[in-house]
Order: sequence, then structure tokens, then C-alpha cells
Amino acid sequence: MKKILVVDDEKNIRELYKEELEEMGYAVTTVSDGVQALLAMGTGKFDLVTLDMRMPDQDGIETLRKMKEKDSTLPVIICTAYEEYKHDFGSWCSDAYVVKSADTGLLRETVKKILG
Amino acid sequence: MKKTTKFFSWTPDPGPRTLHFTMETTEKTELSILSEISRISNSTIGLAEKLRRIVEVIAKGMGKDGASVFLIDRSGKTVTLHAAVGLNQESIGKLSFPIGMGIAGWVAEQKVPLALEEPYADPRFAYVPESGIGSFKSLVAAPVMDEDSCLGVIFVLSSSVWQATSSDITLLTTTANQLSGVIKSARLFKGLQDRLADLASIYEIGMALTSTLDLEQLLSLIAKSTTQSLRAQGCTIRLMNLPEIVSKKTFAYHSIIGEAIRELDARIGPAIADRVAGQSRPLLIQDVSKDGSFNESTSGSVISVPLLFREKVIGVITLYNKQKDGQMFSDEDLQFLTTVASNAAVAVENAAMYERMEDLAIEARTRAQELSILNDIGTAMSTTLNLDRLLRIILTAATMGGSGLGFNRALLLLTNDRTNSLQGMMGVGPANWEEAGRAWGEVSSKHKSLMEWIQTGELFEHRDSALNALARGIRVMLDPAEGVLALTVLNKQPYNVTNAAADPAVPKDFRELLKVNSFATVPLIAKDRVIGVVLVDNMFNQRQITDGDIRFLTMFAHQAALAIENAVIHTNLETMNKDIRSLHEQLVQSEKMAALGAMMAEITHEIRNPLVSIGGFTRRLAKKLQHSEDKKYIDIILSEVSRLEGIIHDNLSYIKEVSLQLADTDVNSLILEILTLYEDELAQRRISVETKLYPVMPLLKIDAPQIKQAVINILKNAMEAMENGGTLSIKTCVLDDTHEAAIEFGDTGPGVTAKTMHNIFNPYYTTKPRGTGLGLPITNRIIKAHKGKIDLKNKETGGAVFTIKLPVSSTK
Repeated sequence: MKKILVVDDEKNIRELYKEELEEMGYAVTTVSDGVQALLAMGTGKFDLVTLDMRMPDQDGIETLRKMKEKDSTLPVIICTAYEEYKHDFGSWCSDAYVVKSADTGLLRETVKKILG
Repeated sequence: MKKTTKFFSWTPDPGPRTLHFTMETTEKTELSILSEISRISNSTIGLAEKLRRIVEVIAKGMGKDGASVFLIDRSGKTVTLHAAVGLNQESIGKLSFPIGMGIAGWVAEQKVPLALEEPYADPRFAYVPESGIGSFKSLVAAPVMDEDSCLGVIFVLSSSVWQATSSDITLLTTTANQLSGVIKSARLFKGLQDRLADLASIYEIGMALTSTLDLEQLLSLIAKSTTQSLRAQGCTIRLMNLPEIVSKKTFAYHSIIGEAIRELDARIGPAIADRVAGQSRPLLIQDVSKDGSFNESTSGSVISVPLLFREKVIGVITLYNKQKDGQMFSDEDLQFLTTVASNAAVAVENAAMYERMEDLAIEARTRAQELSILNDIGTAMSTTLNLDRLLRIILTAATMGGSGLGFNRALLLLTNDRTNSLQGMMGVGPANWEEAGRAWGEVSSKHKSLMEWIQTGELFEHRDSALNALARGIRVMLDPAEGVLALTVLNKQPYNVTNAAADPAVPKDFRELLKVNSFATVPLIAKDRVIGVVLVDNMFNQRQITDGDIRFLTMFAHQAALAIENAVIHTNLETMNKDIRSLHEQLVQSEKMAALGAMMAEITHEIRNPLVSIGGFTRRLAKKLQHSEDKKYIDIILSEVSRLEGIIHDNLSYIKEVSLQLADTDVNSLILEILTLYEDELAQRRISVETKLYPVMPLLKIDAPQIKQAVINILKNAMEAMENGGTLSIKTCVLDDTHEAAIEFGDTGPGVTAKTMHNIFNPYYTTKPRGTGLGLPITNRIIKAHKGKIDLKNKETGGAVFTIKLPVSSTK
């Protein structure tokens, strides 16, 4: 079973994504910020990360850089409420950019595309 | 000798001669003759009459029947009969002998008396039958001596043979001596009279000279009075070509009196004047035909004298021919002329000076008047900085009489640096004769000054004249080949065209446009730069445009150019000020928008997260309540969430800086792609689509996703406008004139109200109950970011038309 790490400071979002993705048949671990995400990466192996951009303590960009330093092949989907940075996502070395929506269809499609 | 006392009425004399009362008859005779001669001599009669009476006395006193007097002429070369008794009176003044010829000539030469009993046998005798000498047999002649010189010869003639005694000869010699006194005193008297006459003439000429200061009149006066005084046939006066003497003449002034001598003067006058002026000395030529230096065949006597002022020759006065044939000018005449000339020179110089002063005064007066007019016009011009008003003031000033320049019509053209051409701006002047007459009548009846015209506002009343239209229609490239208007600008100089038909610088069509054959142009020069041209003509009164007019017009144009330059600068400043203000407003606006944007981003982000939770979980709930009756409430929540998400999306799109990722794009395919995307929705709304896509549409360098977004917004707007279905027509093309690609969207909806038209591109303006009001503003921003245009029109047949225009990249 593929393991997904969901990083988001909003508890409800973590809960929603967990339910949706588990329903798709993935093992989902959730953390509430970048520091914990990096710690989680140290303890377990993940196949995919969904990463929020704006979080307390350490924002998504900083977290993304550190994640890629640890494992450059790990796919990361930026999952954010900011749609205006979409154009620049390539430079942040993420693998996909999904604007958060009540309709999780796009997220599910993206995850499916990456993990198969 | 016979007693002759009976012939005399003797009156006793209280003087010493009474002592000789008892003298002999001869002595008595002599005494009575001398006494009679003395009486005649003292009388007031003229010399000719005196001589006539004296010869009578001598003939009778000596008991003979003839006597005569010959006088040596002024030349000293001939003796001429002056008085006679017993001879033909007609010979008087005519009978003359050269000195040495005839008895008279011989006696005059030898200065001795001669008695001839039989003169006809004497070889010295010259017989002149018509004199009447033939009736005499003997004669006695005695020289009339004045000391050593001979004045003439006195004869006593006898009709009978007469052998004269020595006492006869002595008597005649004594009588001759007495006669000498008579002649001398008479001649002195005559000289005195002549002198007096000369003085009188000089006085008269002097009076005449001071009577006028008009140079021409003065010269003619001098010529006339000297001609009269010297009894000449004519006179010419030449003035030297000195600027300080005759300012306005370029060639020597020439006054001539006497038609008879005109041709002679033309032939020899200039040479004589040259010689006299060159030598600065009077000249007397007895006969020009004998003077080799003139090569003249007609004989004529000439005197010529320089007119000297402060030892400088200012002219030459020349007199020709005595009125009496064959008579020549004398040294006295020359002397007289010299005296006259010295007075005349002063008068001429005065008159020349006066004339110059007068010219200067007239010029000063003209200048003052011009300056006053220019000053008034300058004041008038300073009343406005509005270019249109200013041009009207300028052209009105150019065409106004009295306080203006008084031309009939005036046109003004301004240069355009960008197009390198001259563009007609305004024309002021009547269109035809009737209008001209009416306008002038109006001006003269109202007597208004330019300032009054301006102050009453009458000047700016809208007058759409034919001339104004004509002026505005003129457009000339600044190329010398274009003719006089272009040349005025390029050469920075005025042109006074007096015969346009014959002037190669005036194009035929321009002449026909103006309908005049003479006009003038003057450049408007401000700070060494030609900013335009003023053209004036006198179409109606046909007054010739003078050099003075051009000079005045040039001064006027200089002033007008500065005023125009000021007005233009002022207008530019105003525009710039407006631009700066609007730029400032834009800046404030964009700052506001930036702040608003940042805030909106923040809010939308904060709202989006809870929306995701609400919507996300509701969807999960919906799956579980698939068949519940409450599902409709779930659907309402979901649709409202998605609406909120739409609002957030639109807001963020609008706030976002448009940054373009340009790539060559086929707009036609892009449109078709969108139509495919919306195929179902269009069908659902019963909207049919008509496309007319330009087959050879060039690729456009655009940001395809953004243009797509822009087109979609228009499409949505059109769909919403056609609530009950309709036709959407989409057309693409390339505009020839502006070289832009155009995409046109026409709908068959109700069209757009004026209020909507005004606000449709403003954010948050919407006529739809559920619209965000950001669709078309976003489209507008995207098109503007592409340096394109978008506009909206209502079709005449109903419905609205949106047109997007995008630049076609020039490299393609």
C-alpha cells in the first residue's frame, strides 16, 4: 500500500484529505507543519507528499527545499489556497500545483496520475 | 570857311568861355560846336541818340551836309557805323569795316586824322554804294581817342569838293576828343546800368532761391532765372550722385530748361559737367564745334560753372547759346553765372538737406505709427493663450484697416515637425465682393479697435467662412519643389509674389485655389525656428503690396510667432500637467489596488480553507445521502460553496498583475477550441454559432491561456445576454489601416444601455443577479496588457458587438 504524507496546518483539511485519500486505498499520515513533516520523513518512507504553502513556524517553500534535499525523487504536490503562484511552481521543484477546492476531484486525479 | 554862327542860338555862359566871346569865327564855331556837344553829352538821352545829335551838330557846325561816327566793337577787330547824317540810316549798325580796311578802318588803326579831297581815287577807300556815300565828294576823318587807345572814327562829309584846312582838321580832332568823353561816360553809364541789372538779377535769383525748399522746384527756378538773366537758350543743372545730397536718387539729378538745347545737352552736357566738376573751375567755350574735345558739329556757345558747397562740387550748372544768333557768352556772363552758382549751391544744399530731413521725418512718423499698431496688436495678442483665439486675433489684425495692417485676406499655416509639412489653420477675410463691401462698411461705421472687438467677444463669434475652409484644406510638404509656401519656411524669408502666373515658384493649382495673381508670404519665426507662414493678399482693392508692407508684415509676423509659440508651449504645459495629474491618479489608484489586492489575497486565502472544509465534507455527506430527501439541501450548500469559490477566483484574477508568457498563437484555433469547450452549454441555451474566420490569419504573439480567459469571459457575457437563445457570430480579420488583428463577437441579445456601456469594463459592475462584475474587467486588463483594444457597440439590428483588436507583430 502506497504511503502519503499530508502536511497542512488546518485540522479539517488534514481530516478531509485523509478520508478522501484513504478511500482511494492509500495509507495516509498527517502532520500540521513543516518541522513535523521533516521528522516524519525521518521515521518512515513515503511515496508522496501533499504540502500546504502557508503554515506557522516554517512555510511550505522552506519545507519543500529541505524535503528535496533529503530525497530528491520524492514527489511533492503543492496544495494551497493561493492560486496566483501557480505559474512559478516549477521553480519550487514541486511535481504538481493544486489549488485547494471543495471539489477534491483535481487532487485525487493528480495523486492517481503520480502514484498510478 | 563860311560863317555858321547863324545856326546857333547862343546863350551867354557865366563860365570862363565868355572870355572868348570876341574870338574869330572859326574859334567861335569850334566853341559853339563843343558847347553844343557838351550840352548833348550832359543830357539824359541814350548813347545812340547822343551820337546822332552830335554828328548833326558837327555837320552843321562845319557847314557840311554829312557826318558820321564809327565805333570800334567790343572785340576790337571791326569798326561799325553808329550814327550818321546824310548817309542811308539803314546802314547804321550794319556798315562795318575790319580794322585797317576802308578809311574808317585805316584811321582807327593809324590813329591819325585824314582829309581826302578825292577819296574815290584813294586806294584805302572802300566804296559801299548802299551806304549813300556816293553823294559826297570829299571827306575828313579823325580818330576818337581815349588816351592811347582808339574808340572810333568821326567823319565829316562834303557834297562839294572840299579841300580841308588844317584848322578844319584841328576842329574835327578837338570835336573827336570831346566825343571820346561822351562815349566813355555813356559806356560807363551803360556798364553801371548792366551791373545794376546784374545785381537786380542776382537779387531776384537770390529771392527765388529762398522761396522754396522743394529741390526739384528750386533747380527749375535756378535754371529758368539764369537762362533769362543771361539771355541764353537753355540751361541744365546736374547734381553729383552723392548720397548726402540727394538721398533718394541713384543717378545724378538733372534739371533742364529750354527745349531747343535738349539734344545738344544730351550730346555734350555730361562731358562738360564732368570736366567742370573734375577741374572745379568755370568753363567758357565760345564755340563747341571748334573745340576738338567735344566732337560736336553744331556750333554753340557754352558756359558752365561748378556748384560749390564748402569747396566740394555738388553739381554743375551749364548754359547754352545766347538768344541772339551768333552772339557768344562773355567773361562777364561767366562771372555772373559764378556769382549765381555760389548762391544756388547753398540753396540746393539746403533744399537737399531739407528733403532728407523731410524723408526722415516721414519715415519716423511711419515707424511711430507702425510701432503703435504693433503695440496695440501685441496687447491684443496677450489677452489669450488659447491658440484658436490667438490665431483669430492675429489674422484679424492682419486684415483690419486703421489699427491693423489692412490686407484684404490673410491665411495662417503652421508647421508640423512630425509630418514635415505645413498645415493651413485659419483664414480671415471676405469671400466675395459683396461680403468685402459689407465688412468694410461695418468696420468703418463701427470704428472699433481690435481691443474692442476682443472685449465685446464679437471677434470670436463662430464664423465658418469659405476662406477658413480653404485655409484648413491647405497642406504642403516642406520640400522646395512644393513652391512658395515651402520656400518661405525653408529659406526663412518673405516672398512678394507680384505675378503668380509667371512665377515658377507658384504652383498652378495653388494659384487657382487663391484666385489672385499677387500675394505675399512671410515666415513666422520664433527662436530661430520657423513655426508657420502668414499669407496675405489684396484680392478686392487690388492694392499693390510694397516693400514697406513686407517690412511691416515681417515685424508683425515676428511678434505673432512669439505669441503662437507661447500659446503652444502653454497648451503643451497644460497637457503635460493633465498627463501628470492623471498619471498621479493612476499611481494612487494602482497603489490602492495593490493594497486592496494584498488584502483580498489574504482574505480569500483565509476564506478558501474553511470553504474547502465545508464543501469537502458536504460532498462526503452527499455521497452518503445519495437517496435521501435532504440531498437537495446538500446540493444548495455545494452550489453556494462553488459560487463563493468562483468569486474568490475572479477576484484573485483581477487583482493579479498580468504577466504575459508570449508565444506565437493561432487565434482561429484558439476560438474553435473554446467553442468546443462550450459546445454543450451553447446548445443547452439554444444559441447557434456562426463563425467567419479569416483564412490567412497571421500567428499572434500572445499569452494564449490569458487570451483564452478573455475570450471566454466575452463568450459567457454573450450567452448570458441571450437568455432566450439566439445567434453568436464570431469573425476574425486583419484591419488594413491599423494592421491589427480583430476578433468580433456579435450577439442577438437586447444590446447594452448607455449606462452599462459606460461601466461595463469597471470592476464589480454587473447587471446580472449572480454575476461577480469582474469578467469583462479581467478581459479588458488582459487585452490592454497585450497592447490591444477592446470596444463595445450596439448593432443597428439589435444586440451588441464586442471587438478585440490585437497588434500583429511586425517581425512576422
